[in-house]
Amino acid sequence: MSVSDGQRVGVTAVTTNGASSRTSNVDRRLRIAIGVLCLIGIGIAGYLTYTHYAKIKVICGSNGGCETVQSSVYSKLAGLPVAVLGLAGYIGMLFTLFIRNELGRIATFGIALVGFLFSMYLTYREAFTIHAYCYWCLSSATLMTILVILTATRVIRADPITSAPKTVPRAERRRTERRQAARH
Amino acid sequence: MASRTKQKEEARARRLAEEQARAERARRQRRMQMIGGVVLAAIVVVVAAIVISSGSAKKETGLQKAGTQQSNATMASINQLLNGIPQSGNVLGNPKAPVTMTYYGDYECPVCQAFTLQGGFSQLVSNDVRSGKVKVEYRAFCTATCGSPDPGVFNTQQVAGLAAGKQNLFWQYTELFYHEQGTEDSGYVTESYLQGLAKQITALKFATWMSDRNDPTLTAQVGSDQASARQLGVSGTPTLIFAGPKGQAAASEAVPTYAQLESVIKQVT
Repeated sequence: MSVSDGQRVGVTAVTTNGASSRTSNVDRRLRIAIGVLCLIGIGIAGYLTYTHYAKIKVICGSNGGCETVQSSVYSKLAGLPVAVLGLAGYIGMLFTLFIRNELGRIATFGIALVGFLFSMYLTYREAFTIHAYCYWCLSSATLMTILVILTATRVIRADPITSAPKTVPRAERRRTERRQAARH
Repeated sequence: MASRTKQKEEARARRLAEEQARAERARRQRRMQMIGGVVLAAIVVVVAAIVISSGSAKKETGLQKAGTQQSNATMASINQLLNGIPQSGNVLGNPKAPVTMTYYGDYECPVCQAFTLQGGFSQLVSNDVRSGKVKVEYRAFCTATCGSPDPGVFNTQQVAGLAAGKQNLFWQYTELFYHEQGTEDSGYVTESYLQGLAKQITALKFATWMSDRNDPTLTAQVGSDQASARQLGVSGTPTLIFAGPKGQAAASEAVPTYAQLESVIKQVT
């Protein structure tokens, strides 16, 4: 009976440690993926911001919809080009990746969610109001969609107890070992 | 004794497990509340952004809804002026007319509006263009639009007119633009504004017009119009240059009357 208890305790400990390691591994991979997507997003939004302020033509596909979209009233929000807002969003997400706690994960998710919802609105405007598509904007909207999925996964999958590795004091560890030895 | 110790240990373990479960439940609940709060905040932020974005789309514009009494009245007066006069692209009048008036204009330019609607232009069209003596060629030159907060729209708006020209309705579109021109610098020229104009011209095949707007030759034409203006030293709009058998002459007034236009025509014929 006592052996069985000991085995159960041991198995539980192994399972928890394994889950923690897996969670941390998944979190690391998600952070890398999110970071890479943010860098791509910074490239896209940065390019659109540059073309806006340098007053140069955006490299576009054969349909030339980029210019129509860029010159539309929806390309600005309160006088600020939406490309600048996108750039700020991607940089903000990248920054929050370095905050390695629950607050950081939720902040990344929050920014991605705002970016995703606003991108959906802008895509709706492209389709039904402007009747032209800007491939750069569509690429950014796709990135935001993937980012909201990844950041949500990161928030949901994170184990609040085991996500941060915990150091067990040596005295506590010895007490546990003594107790288990006494059972045997 | 051993059994009592064991019972104590078990009770302690149970208590610890319960405490841990409670703590975990509390953490999960707190996390769910945080996620809920973030989702709510994100929705509020986006709704506010959409309200601002849609609000800025409602610019000061004279655009009329197609089919309304006012729109019909405007179109009737434009058609009365233009019907029966040959059109080809951006050219109004008989292609063999001895005199050509090149009109450098910008759709957002209020002085061009004044010349087209209140100046001598209408009378010139009714008399000299209709009779085949003068033809008018409109060329795009960015002035008011380039000084507005949204200069990028210049190409789009001028191409919209040229696309109507592919159906020989350039002048209907141009006249309508000036009739329903909005407040300068208010950024009123949006996609819905340009489409709103097109929808008022009943003779215009809307789908064809939409697809013609993507024709790269029209964008190139706007570019070459501007290049020719720079070459001639054009600095403002409207700039009216007359070319006839006796050479070239330009109208010196910003908004010339019909009499002033006639005197320039006499110089070149």
